[in-house]
Amino acid sequence: MRPGSEGCCCRRPMRANGCVANGEVLNGYVRNSAAAAAAAGQIHHITENGGLYKRPFNEAFEETPMLVAVLTYVGYGVLTLFGYLRDFLRHWRIEKCHHATEREEQKDFVSLYQDFENFYTRNLYMRIRDNWNRPICSVPGAKVDIMERQSHDYNWSFKYTGNIIKGVINMGSYNYLGFAQNTGSCQEAAAKVLKEYGAGVCSTRQEIGNLDKHEELEKLLATFLGVEASMAYGMGFATNSMNIPALVGKGCLILSDELNHASLVLGARLSGATIRIFKHNNMQSLEKLLKDAIVYGQPRTRRPWKKILILVEGIYSMEGSIVRLPEVIALKTKYKAYLYLDEAHSIGALGPTGRGVVDYFGLNPEDVDIMMGTFTKSFGAAGGYIGGKKELIDYLRTHSHSAVYATSLSPPVVEQIITSMKCIMGLDGTSLGKERIQQLAENTRYFRRRLKEMGFIIYGNEDSPVVPLMLYMPAKIGAFGREMLKRNIGVVVVGFPATPIIESRARFCLSAAHTKEILDTTLKEIDEVGDLLQLKYSRHRLVPLLDRPFDETTYEETED
Amino acid sequence: MNVGVAHSEVNPNTRVMNSRGMWLTYALGVGLLHIVLLSIPFFSVPVAWTLTNIIHNLGMYVFLHAVKGTPFETPDQGKARLLTHWEQLDYGVQFTSSRKFFTISPIILVASGVLNSSKRPSTMHQLVLEQRRMKNTKDTRYFLASFYTKYDPTHFILNTASLLSVLIPKMPQLHGVRIFGINKY
Repeated sequence: MRPGSEGCCCRRPMRANGCVANGEVLNGYVRNSAAAAAAAGQIHHITENGGLYKRPFNEAFEETPMLVAVLTYVGYGVLTLFGYLRDFLRHWRIEKCHHATEREEQKDFVSLYQDFENFYTRNLYMRIRDNWNRPICSVPGAKVDIMERQSHDYNWSFKYTGNIIKGVINMGSYNYLGFAQNTGSCQEAAAKVLKEYGAGVCSTRQEIGNLDKHEELEKLLATFLGVEASMAYGMGFATNSMNIPALVGKGCLILSDELNHASLVLGARLSGATIRIFKHNNMQSLEKLLKDAIVYGQPRTRRPWKKILILVEGIYSMEGSIVRLPEVIALKTKYKAYLYLDEAHSIGALGPTGRGVVDYFGLNPEDVDIMMGTFTKSFGAAGGYIGGKKELIDYLRTHSHSAVYATSLSPPVVEQIITSMKCIMGLDGTSLGKERIQQLAENTRYFRRRLKEMGFIIYGNEDSPVVPLMLYMPAKIGAFGREMLKRNIGVVVVGFPATPIIESRARFCLSAAHTKEILDTTLKEIDEVGDLLQLKYSRHRLVPLLDRPFDETTYEETED
Repeated sequence: MNVGVAHSEVNPNTRVMNSRGMWLTYALGVGLLHIVLLSIPFFSVPVAWTLTNIIHNLGMYVFLHAVKGTPFETPDQGKARLLTHWEQLDYGVQFTSSRKFFTISPIILVASGVLNSSKRPSTMHQLVLEQRRMKNTKDTRYFLASFYTKYDPTHFILNTASLLSVLIPKMPQLHGVRIFGINKY
């Protein structure tokens, strides 16, 4: 941050009597923009192009150190060789076989199970399986209770010891604004609606599943987003996968980011349109694809494309990067394409008023043709929505697969969304929403800065509440998860094949419910574990994302 | 943890050979294998080279041309189940940089092996003695020719055979071809 630049939390706070607090401790954070400027001295001058960006865009993905990459491959190689050995032993009955096999009589038939496709699950995932699917038994707020379990046969089966690990610091829930609570105004309102309306709707939107609560929600949502109309669906994944086929079809072109979520990819594949993938957040790659699409048209016939739809996400949950929305909108207006923005993680979490990535960049919501989002993360509810022009939403009400075939949102969930949205907007009369947004932004900045100072490699944008910490080696995935649980902190770790082979990571999701003490405890433990597992790889040589070579060609799967 | 949760790459096997550091790891692995074989006192240098070649080509054949499919479930309903890893690389596009690298590397290895398996001096001291002898002929072309005419036939045949077993499946004409139905399903 340059001194004097604007940002939602680096602004010098004005006290009630108008004087500016300078460098004082406020809410536990020392607000001193000069110190922050010295700490984060990587300004990407390229991103200040032509005044498109009203704020500095600091995103960096430090390259994997070569030694670490080599050791990671060696690790996977050793695990693969041992996997073959264990499979051999299991085949010759020297070792007990725990996974599903056919009965003896069926061995002559065509095989029922693809044994090789389960190789990774059997030999790598099972060894560290205790880091995932941990059963919790309390509301997943800033702290959560986890049921302790033990395994006596190397994670093939678990037994509950009966203990409950209480007060585990929860760094894994998408609880950005802290609405995952079982007390408070949201809970009371939802309980009242549950008594009045019942738990289920038992019908689709088009039949008799359209409640007045849904209409109320959609009106409120439209004002929240700044669009003309909106529609809410029961499931966030289904919002993407069922609505993209309704919007595009054969003869249309979809330009989708490399790291888009599985729901967007599924929706794109189901639609039957041609899909072309551009490099992650790389505007030159997107522009090249747009130019080629318009110049060359459809393959073979060279007719113009019926529609070009650009699919991007607000915050990419595995990388922690924020989409370069001003540039995407500039490109879309120039080449007359449509923009579909999936704000699953960014709605409520970014922007000075919590209205998402459009608010964060200070842009006009009418520039985005289709604003999609989910209620699962920041609102503490379930479901998804699409917002846009009235004609678009009216079209979707009749043509969307969700509206015709899927059950609509359940009434207590709708009430939770309405109450939390009113809280964020400030319509409930308190400043609770604003405080939460502020707290989340401060938590984000603080946590990321401290982790970078400690020497870890952290991916993503400085303002994104999703913080991926790179682990790289397969053994460290399991070790990190277990060590953090021993120290009473629950984290999410993820490795190959969910991520590229050398980019396994631990992903922290910050929350407005985390106080500074919680963050300090977490940071101290991460520091210890980082020293123990030697995770501090950073050499502070950050490669600005634009300098990543995008000319290296990747090959796409062609649909025959 | 499933494939494609964090990226839209349908089959990660296609890109694993292009990732950062993979070529270096491969080269270091081959180098390590060679050093281990050289350290065994029973093997002479030509034998160590030929063994390196044979083991490397055998490993390459098994992992790139014999094993089919992916070790994880892919979201494309098993399009690559009948394809070997070599055929999956870069979704079947030929002559990409990874394919060129892995085609050239066994050739270089075998060429070094063939050069080294001749009956020429295997220690520096012997090399220097031979050089001194050669100087007396005053014809350096003789020097080079004398190297290349001393190939040991056994080593040569073994090396070439294992090289062919690894080069032939890599030809684009043999993409997806299963001779005599071997390894078809």
